Amino acid sequence: MTSSIALRAKAEVEAARLPALLARAEHLAGAVLLGAHGRRRAGVGDDFWQYRPAQIGDSRRRIDHRRSAMGDQEFVRESEWQIAQSVMLWVDQGASMRFTSDANLPQKVDRARLLGLAVAILLQRAGERVGLTGTALPPRSGAIQIQRLAEMFCKDDTADYSPPEHRAMIPQARAVFISDFMGDIGAVTLALTKAADRGVRGVLCHVLDPSEEAFPFSGRTIFESVGGTLSHETLKASDLKSRYLARLAERKAELQRLCALTGWHYGLHHTDASAQAALLWLYGALDTRSGVTA
Amino acid sequence: MTVLGGIGFSAPWLLWGLIALPILWLILRAVPPAPIRRRFPGVALLLGLKDDESVSDRTPWWLLALRILAVAAVIIGLAGPILNPSSPQTEGSGPLLIVLDGSWAGATRWPQQAEALDVQLARAARSNRTVAFLTLTRPEELTFQSADVLRTRLAGLQPAPWQPSAANITRAIETMGQSGGFETLWFSDGLDYPGRSDVLAALQAQGAVEIYQTGANVMAMAAAVYEDGAINLSAKRALAGEPREVTLNAQGRDPAGNIRTLASIPAVFEQGQVDASAALALPAELRARITRFDIAGQRSAGATTLVDDALRRREVALIAAREDREGLELLSPLHYIEKALAPTADLIHGSLNDVLPANPDVIVLADVATVTETEQAALLEWIENGGMLVRFAGPRIAASNISRDAEDPLMPVRLRAGGRSVGGAMSWGEPKSLEKFKDSSPFFGLDIPDDVVVSAQIVAQPDPTLSNRVIASLNDGTPLVTRKAIGQGQVVLFHVTATAEWSTLPLSGLFVQMMERLAISSSSASNDTQSLQGTVWTPLRVMDGFGVLSDAGNLPGVDGADLANSPAGPDVRPGIYVSGDRQIARNVVTLDTQLALADWPAGVPVRGMNISPETALAGWLLSFSILLLLADVIASLALSGRLLKRGGIIAVWMIATILQPPAPATAQNADADAFALNATSELTLAYVVTGVSSIDEISQAGLRGLSDTLYFRTSVEPANPIGVDLENDELAFFPMLYWPITPDQARPSDAAYVKLNEYLRSGGMILFDTRDANIAGFGAASPNGRKLQSLAAPLDIPPLEPLPSDHVLTRTFYLLQDFPGRYTGRDIWVEASPPDAEQVEGMPFRNLNDGVTPVVIGGNDWAAAWAVSSSGAPMVPIGRGFTGERQREIAYRFGVNLVMHVLTGNYKSDQVHVPALLDRLGQ
Repeated sequence: MTSSIALRAKAEVEAARLPALLARAEHLAGAVLLGAHGRRRAGVGDDFWQYRPAQIGDSRRRIDHRRSAMGDQEFVRESEWQIAQSVMLWVDQGASMRFTSDANLPQKVDRARLLGLAVAILLQRAGERVGLTGTALPPRSGAIQIQRLAEMFCKDDTADYSPPEHRAMIPQARAVFISDFMGDIGAVTLALTKAADRGVRGVLCHVLDPSEEAFPFSGRTIFESVGGTLSHETLKASDLKSRYLARLAERKAELQRLCALTGWHYGLHHTDASAQAALLWLYGALDTRSGVTA
Repeated sequence: MTVLGGIGFSAPWLLWGLIALPILWLILRAVPPAPIRRRFPGVALLLGLKDDESVSDRTPWWLLALRILAVAAVIIGLAGPILNPSSPQTEGSGPLLIVLDGSWAGATRWPQQAEALDVQLARAARSNRTVAFLTLTRPEELTFQSADVLRTRLAGLQPAPWQPSAANITRAIETMGQSGGFETLWFSDGLDYPGRSDVLAALQAQGAVEIYQTGANVMAMAAAVYEDGAINLSAKRALAGEPREVTLNAQGRDPAGNIRTLASIPAVFEQGQVDASAALALPAELRARITRFDIAGQRSAGATTLVDDALRRREVALIAAREDREGLELLSPLHYIEKALAPTADLIHGSLNDVLPANPDVIVLADVATVTETEQAALLEWIENGGMLVRFAGPRIAASNISRDAEDPLMPVRLRAGGRSVGGAMSWGEPKSLEKFKDSSPFFGLDIPDDVVVSAQIVAQPDPTLSNRVIASLNDGTPLVTRKAIGQGQVVLFHVTATAEWSTLPLSGLFVQMMERLAISSSSASNDTQSLQGTVWTPLRVMDGFGVLSDAGNLPGVDGADLANSPAGPDVRPGIYVSGDRQIARNVVTLDTQLALADWPAGVPVRGMNISPETALAGWLLSFSILLLLADVIASLALSGRLLKRGGIIAVWMIATILQPPAPATAQNADADAFALNATSELTLAYVVTGVSSIDEISQAGLRGLSDTLYFRTSVEPANPIGVDLENDELAFFPMLYWPITPDQARPSDAAYVKLNEYLRSGGMILFDTRDANIAGFGAASPNGRKLQSLAAPLDIPPLEPLPSDHVLTRTFYLLQDFPGRYTGRDIWVEASPPDAEQVEGMPFRNLNDGVTPVVIGGNDWAAAWAVSSSGAPMVPIGRGFTGERQREIAYRFGVNLVMHVLTGNYKSDQVHVPALLDRLGQ
C-alpha cells in the first residue's frame, strides 16, 4: 500500500514538474517567430497547396468533399510538400549539472532542459523532427514528441559527469549538445568526431554557473563534486583561482577547437544570463533552413 | 587575599593556570583551521592542482595571540582580581561599632560619607566582623549584626537637622556601657558640640577608636534680618582660615509658581574671620516671594534659612475720616498707629476707593463712621477674601447711629449710643485699666503695663454673641477690643480712639505688641521670649538634615518660649510654625550660634574620607575575554573563507537600509528648512501619509497625475507632490491636502490636530477620500467611514451638505456635474451654503458662501483615477474601454476644478455678476 501511495505521490510531483517545464519552454519559444519552410510543390505537409481533379489511383479518402460538392467533379486537396530535418538533442542530466551557487539562480540542468525543450518546440513548430541522441527517443515530428521529450528530460542521471550520448546518430542529421562539459573531454571528442564521421553537425551549448567562472572561494576548503565521487582539498582556495581559471579557459579553447574541426558551433551560456538570448543564439546557430538542401 | 602589584586576588592559586598558556599555544598552533566543504562541479578541473609550499596550514600567529589573550583574561578574571584592595593590616577582628554624628553639618558630604561607610562595611564583611551603628543624634540600642545586613540599611541613614544634644549623648554613653568591648570607627561631621569628649572617653574605654572626618569646612547660615530696606544675611564657618567667597541664594517661587533662585549675592569670609555677611536689597514684591536662603554648594539644614513673616512686610492702608493737616500732628487720628506700624509694615495712604485695588493686608479705619454702599460692598468682598479691617472708635462713631439697632456688617458688635466716659473731670470713678487677657485671646501672655488706662470708650450692646467676640476688656468687664470673622478675614474694633484722647493705650508698648499679635505688623526682632510667651506654635513644615522641607504631619505643637530659646532637636524641629495668622520660621543656626571645629586629642587617629573603593575587575576581564572570543570567531570565519564577501555586503546593505529612512518624497525626511523650501518654491500638492505603503504610493502617483494634468491644461504648474507627516511637518505651505482614509492608519496626536485645525481656519482645504465608493453614505457602515468619523471628530469642520448643483466647484474650470474617481458616487460633501442664500431672478446661480470650503468629503478614490506612473502611463484600470477613459478624464477635470477652487476661491461665482456690472458700466 505504502509503496503505491508513494509511487502515486512521486508521480504527481513529477507530473507537476512537467507542465511547468513545458509551459516555460513554450513561453520561451513563443518569443521566436518563424514560419514553416515549404518546398513550393505538392507533397506531404500540413499547408494547402492546390485542389486537383481526382484521378484514378487516388484513394477515396483523399477526396475533398467540401470542394467536390461545389460541382460535379471530384477534387483532391493537395498539400505542400514539406521536408523535415531530424534534430537530436543531448541534455546533460549528470549530477554536476544539478548545481547552483545562488538560491536566486536556476540550476544548470534546469537551464539546460529549458533551452533544450524550447529549441525542440521551435523545431517542432518548424516541422522538424526532434528527438534525443541514442535509442531512447528517436526523432519524430508532432506535438506529442514535445511531451515525450519533456518526460525524458525529467530523468536525472546519477553519474557525476555523464558523457555525451553518441550512439545511433542519424546520418546528415543535426545535433544539439547542452552540458557544462566539466567531465572527461575525451568523451566529447569521441562524440563529436563520430558525429562528424556521420555528417552530423550541430551546436555545443556550454552552460556554466557564474561561480564556476569566478571561483570566489578562499580559505581551507574541500571541494566535492555534486555526486560526491570527486574531492579535492586545498589549504588556501584563493591561491587556486588563477590556475583553475586557466584550466577552464583551456577547456573552453579545446571545445572550440573541436567544434572548428568538426564544423559544429560552440556557444557559452551562463545561468545568470537571459535564457531567451541563449535560445535565439541556439536557434540561429542551428539554422535548419540553410542547412537543408531542397 | 594576595596582593600582587596593587591588585588583590581572591583566588590567587587559579593564576597557576597561566603556566598552561604556552602549552595551549603549541596545541593551537599544531591544529589548522577546520576545512569547509563545498559542492563544486568544477572540481574536475582542480584535480591535481597542488597548494603552494608557502601556504601555511597553521593558524596565524595573531589569531593564536588573540585566543591566548582571551584564555589569559578568563584565567585572571576567575582569579578574582580586586583593584584598591584594603591592606590586611587595617582589617581587625571582633565587633566593630560605627559611630555617626549624623547632624546637619555632615549633610553636604553625606554621599561621600555613605560611600566611605560602604567601604568599611565591605571590609568588615570580608573579615566576618559584626557591626553596629550608633547615630549620636538619634541614639538607639546597639545591635551587632552582619555587615552585609547593615549595608542594605545604608540608604536609610539620614542626617538629623540638629546637633547631638546632651540627652542624646547621655543615652549614647549608656548604650555603649551595655555592650562588651569593640573597636570604633567614628564618622565625625567636623563640628564640635558639648559632650563630644565624653563620648570619646566612653568609646575609648571599650576599645580602639579611629576617627574619619572630612577636611572640608562646615558652613551655616543665620536667620535673615530685614533692616533699613535690605535683608541682612550672615554666613558662618567653623574654621577661620583662608579668605573665601560664598554665594548666598534667595529661593522662592517665580510668577509661574516654580521654585527657583530669585536673587543671589556673594558674601566674603575675610582672612581669619568666621563670619561673612551681605545685604540684599530687593523690591517688596520679590522679597515677599522668598521662602528660603541658602549657601550655594551646601546642602544642609544649617546652611538654609527659612523665611517667615519677618521679611513679609504687610501692607497697611490707613484711612481717617478727616485728614486734619491744619491741626497738631499729635492730634492726627493716625499719628500713633503710624508710629507703631512704620518700622514693620508698608503704609498706604489714600481714600478707600484708591487703596482697595492695591489689595492691602490690613485696612485701618480710624473713627470712620459711615462708608458708602459701594465701598461697603467692596470692603466686604475684600474681607471675605482674607482682608483684615481694623477700626478705631472715636467721637464720630460715638455720635453716629452705626450698628445701633442692627449689627453693621463692618462692625463686630452692636453699639450703645454715645459711649461713656469714666474718670473724667465731669464723671465719677477712676479711669479703668485693662483686665488680664484671657487664654482664648490672641493677646494672651502680654504683660499689661500699669499706666494703660481708658477714660472714654464706646460701649457694646450685650448680645448672645458678644462674649465670644471680646478679645480684650477693661477690668469692669466692658469690651475694649472685639473681633468678628467674615469669610476668611475679620473685623477688629478697638473701642477707643487711635489717639491718646480716650486712653493711654496708644502711648504704651502694649499697643505695638497688640498690633503684632493681630498680625497687623510683624518683626523678627520681636520673636523674643517675651512676645512668644504663652503661645503654642504648630509645626507646618519641617526641615530634614539636608534642608528639604516636608509636611510636618501630626507633630505636636511647641511652646513659644521653647521655640525661641531651645536648641534645635527632636522636640523643636527647624521648620515653619504657625499660630493663628502668624508664621515664624525656626532655623537651625541663630545669629549668636558659634560654629567650632571638632578637635581631637593627639592619641586618636584621624583619617579623611577619601577611601578609594575596592573594584572587582573580574567582570571586566571576563567581558573582555568574550569580546576577544567574538573577534576570534569573526577572524576564524574570515580565514576559513566562511565569511563570504557577499555576506559582508549584505550586512552593510542591511545596516544601510535600517539607517536610511524609507518612503519616497515623504516630508519628514527632509530637514525643516529644506522641506519648507521644497514645498514653497513652487506650488505643491500634498497628501497625508497614512503609513500604508500601497495607499501612499497611489496618493503620490495620483497627485503626480493631477499635477501633470494641471501643468498641461491650466496656468497652474505644480511641482512634484509631497507626502506630509501630520505629526512633524508644517502644513501651511500646502493649498490642499489629499487625505485617503484607511482603517489601519494611526490617529494623529493632539498636537497634530491643533495644527490641522489651524490649517483649516487659515484657508487650507482637506479632501477626504474614504475610497469605498460611498457605500456607507458616510455612515459608520464601512470601516473607512468609521475611521473617517473618528479621524474628523476633533477637526473644526463647519456644517456640511451634499454638493449642490450650483456649487462653484461645478464650474471653476470645467463645467461638471459628476465627480467620479475610480468609482462614480455622486455625492460629495462640502461646507453648507448659508441658509439665506437665494437664487436671484435672472441669475443662473445662487450667490453662495464666500471662501473655500475647508473640507471636501467623498469616497470615489480619486487618487487611483489620477494615478500615473513615472512614465506617465495610468496605473489603475478605470471602468471599461472608452467609458473608463471618459471616467478618468472627468476625474481629472474634477481634480482641476478642485485645485482651481482652492486657488481662486469663489472667483468664478463672482463672474455671474459680470453681466450686471457691464450693464451698469454701459449706463
